[in-house]
Amino acid sequence: MLKPKQMSRLLIAASRDQMGPVVAELYRHHLFHIEEYVEGGKEGYEGFKIGTPLSGASEASVDLLKIRAIENAVSIHGDDMDSAKTCSGSELRSRIERELPVLEQEVEELTQKRSKLDNKVKEFEQKITEITPFVSIPADLGMYRGYAGFTVYAGYVAQEVTLSVPNETHFSKGKEKNFTVIIAPNGQRNEVERALQEAAYQSVPIPDESGAPQARIDYYSGQITALTKEIAETNAKLDAVKAQHAGFLVACEEFLRTEVEQTEAPLRFATTKQTFVAEGWVPSDKVDAISESLVKVTGGKVFVTVLPTDIEHDAVPVEYNNPKFAQPAQMLMDIYSRPKYTEVDPTLMLAIVFPIFFGLIVGDVGYGLIFLVMCFGLQRMMKGEDGKMFLKVLRNASISSIIFGVLFNEFLGFELTQVVGWVLGLGGFPNLIHGYAGFIMPSRHLLIGATEAGGHGPAIPALMIMAIWIGVLHITLGRSLGMYNHAKQDHGHHRMLAVMANFGWLAVMWGILVAIWSNVVMPYMPNLTGLPVVAAGFNLGTFVGAALILVGVIFIARDSVLEVIELPTIISHVLSYARLVAVGLSSVAIAMVVNYMAIGMFISPGMKELSIVGIVMIVIGLVIFLFGHTLNIALGLLGGGLHSIRLHYVEFFTKFYKGGGIRYVPFGMKRRFTEE
Amino acid sequence: MAVEAIAVATTDLASIQASQMGMKAIGAGLAVGLTGVGTGVAEMGIGAAAVGAIAENKDFFGLGLLFTVIPETIVIFGLVVGLLLLF
Repeated sequence: MLKPKQMSRLLIAASRDQMGPVVAELYRHHLFHIEEYVEGGKEGYEGFKIGTPLSGASEASVDLLKIRAIENAVSIHGDDMDSAKTCSGSELRSRIERELPVLEQEVEELTQKRSKLDNKVKEFEQKITEITPFVSIPADLGMYRGYAGFTVYAGYVAQEVTLSVPNETHFSKGKEKNFTVIIAPNGQRNEVERALQEAAYQSVPIPDESGAPQARIDYYSGQITALTKEIAETNAKLDAVKAQHAGFLVACEEFLRTEVEQTEAPLRFATTKQTFVAEGWVPSDKVDAISESLVKVTGGKVFVTVLPTDIEHDAVPVEYNNPKFAQPAQMLMDIYSRPKYTEVDPTLMLAIVFPIFFGLIVGDVGYGLIFLVMCFGLQRMMKGEDGKMFLKVLRNASISSIIFGVLFNEFLGFELTQVVGWVLGLGGFPNLIHGYAGFIMPSRHLLIGATEAGGHGPAIPALMIMAIWIGVLHITLGRSLGMYNHAKQDHGHHRMLAVMANFGWLAVMWGILVAIWSNVVMPYMPNLTGLPVVAAGFNLGTFVGAALILVGVIFIARDSVLEVIELPTIISHVLSYARLVAVGLSSVAIAMVVNYMAIGMFISPGMKELSIVGIVMIVIGLVIFLFGHTLNIALGLLGGGLHSIRLHYVEFFTKFYKGGGIRYVPFGMKRRFTEE
Repeated sequence: MAVEAIAVATTDLASIQASQMGMKAIGAGLAVGLTGVGTGVAEMGIGAAAVGAIAENKDFFGLGLLFTVIPETIVIFGLVVGLLLLF
């Protein structure tokens, strides 16, 4: 928690003939993060060379390529499939030898056939577009060619062309362009071309066809229909292959990938003629287990030892170490950057605060429930690891929205209490809006289409102060973590300065707050105006605040003078948390406007008189209701998610978090379709 | 006479208050709207560049998002001014 998993640097050395068993064992454990050996440079590794792949590497690679080609052709993705451990390795190996060539040929034939058919369809479509302009001219297509003394001009013109030379002209007026065909003697070519140029002539190629244009088009359309049918048949055959072999193919891919990865592992080891050395990282608590099992598989012919870790210079891979509920938030961390091995891992804080921010913004029981249903619906469609993580983040966020919805007393823009009363038969249909407060939280109900007196609208000051308090506390936490990180990571003179600078930022922020409290009375904030006046009409609090600001600025300047120009960000970052209120209020406003338009303007008047007009009005009202709330759900998801994560990335992380840690990628694979 | 004068005065007062409220609303609208435009213009270039950078290197996403949303401060200030005007 709050720290990445502790890693130990492991060195494995053995003779070359033990390479196979060692690699297989490491692969099975799926814990060893290999540190790749780079030739030359490293002390103590003089004379070592990069290893060569184990036997069978190239065959497995070739087969893997084939499998992936087939998978692409029939569009199978392992991520989209449920994991099912069907076959063991040896069984698969024999099946690959037996079935893969046949399958490959079948798929290749089908895809080739399909692309041939596709090309033909395109060719015919091209012909149709070529012939189409000639449809309006009542002449056989064969008559446009084969003259010795005449030239045929076909193309688009701006206006009808009249020629002084003897000619035959057909002109057809189109909507956008006029098409014309002119046959004139070769002798007067110059004259004809000049006349055509004046009419903005654009030449059209004469199709290499004979027969009536419309008949040819009909013929080609018929051909295209037949071809499309054939393509559909081919696709159906490919789908059948997919349905029949999907499980086999993904299992093969996984099996061959394990083969390739294992046989190519020596490329990352340092080797001599007789021995090999592998260096890498394992979680410290797993060192014993791995060492023991390596000794066991090699019959004791291996040397395993833990090397000392130099935290500053070693590239220690980072693996999260979070309680289960916080793990989905790791995805949000990785989008920003993985923490360094030495710094505080804020995943836990993100996992707790992100849903709270999301809930504060959305804060509606109805929308929360819809998000939750969406989560469970999408769970069936998203099978990849990242997708699942994302859905879990969304699930936590929607549960938080429901809780805040109860606190804000909101249900799809109505008041939750009214909706509950209506469902239980205790009250009438939710009367649009009267702006009563929620249970604990200040009211966010606006007075849109208010029908009852006594409503008071949203409690803006209370909401704003709440947002500012959240901002102040969140930033204080961030700066405190910044002090801790600098104290832990930096050294020497700079360490103290960096810690003091972070304290300086905190001092300025709280100094400003104290100074404001001492002069202005604000709701939900301490009132320090009653402190004794010291000098010039200012009271003690003002001077304490000013002193804090001064000390803070000095501390910041001692670390870096340029940072002082960043001072206004203190105010802008705190005020930035106002978005928690603003985005939420806009979402409430949209919901209420939709409700007012749908119910107040269409459904209620329609219900009064159930004539045809009334029913039409009710239907229009329902459409507005559905469309409006769908839009608002999309906006709520986007606004709630993006703004909450942005407050973390920009306002919170910039105070202490650097990131840039190396991802822990253990050698091995999580098997989904094959058995060990 | 006096009663009439008082009545006129109250209607005057009411209309003055209403127009003040209207002016405040216009001011708030301008504050939010214009700062929104400002933010949009500022984010336009940054966003385009950030998307380009992300296309080159996906790891840039976090930093790119950070850069893109920096001008949002402007609209937040506008929003705060707007809310202060109205409430």
